Amino acid sequence: MAYPMQLGFQDATSPIMEELLHFHDHTLMIVFLISSLVLYIIALMLTTKLTHVSTMDAQEVETIWTIMPAIILITIALPSLRILYMMDEINNPSLTVKTMGHQWYWSYEYTDYEDLTFDSYMIPTSELKPGELRLLEVDNRVVLPMEMTIRMLISSEDVLHSWAVPSLGLKTDAIPGR
Amino acid sequence: MASSSLTKPQMCGLLSHHFHIVRAFIVSLGDATFYMFAVAEPRKKAYAYFYRNYDSIKDFEEMRKASMFQSAR
Repeated sequence: MAYPMQLGFQDATSPIMEELLHFHDHTLMIVFLISSLVLYIIALMLTTKLTHVSTMDAQEVETIWTIMPAIILITIALPSLRILYMMDEINNPSLTVKTMGHQWYWSYEYTDYEDLTFDSYMIPTSELKPGELRLLEVDNRVVLPMEMTIRMLISSEDVLHSWAVPSLGLKTDAIPGR
Repeated sequence: MASSSLTKPQMCGLLSHHFHIVRAFIVSLGDATFYMFAVAEPRKKAYAYFYRNYDSIKDFEEMRKASMFQSAR
């Protein structure tokens, strides 16, 4: 879960989220590489009075600054596509849970074996007991089995909502009528 | 009149000598390498270490005994 002074993602609790964490590290590394290069060049440009007065063309540097970004983009795209296809893996879910977004609570339906439906309201901050988590506690928690594939069907009864579990790397918009 | 020979001043390449592009690339690659070894690799090792001997059932039982669950007492 989130913690004070957090800078990065929450700790991953699913393999896909772990992959996303490592991909983010890889991409941020590239971002630091480019940013530090640009900052260094800006610093160099601001610390000289010299000017190149006989520039006619710049074929070499233009070739370099076309080829290198293309290589960098490929370096980012390949792991990104790998994770994208990994997320689309077909598996046979053991359980199906439907969740409907309302203003302003979620309702959950477990209809695989029996008809079980309940609403899940957030506990207001003024009613929290000591040790409970602000804006996260609910009266009826959604219960999911661990280490199993679960199909979540997410929709809405009114406006657009979004159902997310950051540490599992899940987020899906709850769209009315879909 | 005696003429003393002066050393010829640097005439060319003043801006390119200031613009150490190789040094810029080395600095930026160094930044990226530093991030890789200070953040990315330790994170991979931390996850591998955590999951090497992870027992999810034991973890679940500890959480259940600490009354963290609403539906499993």
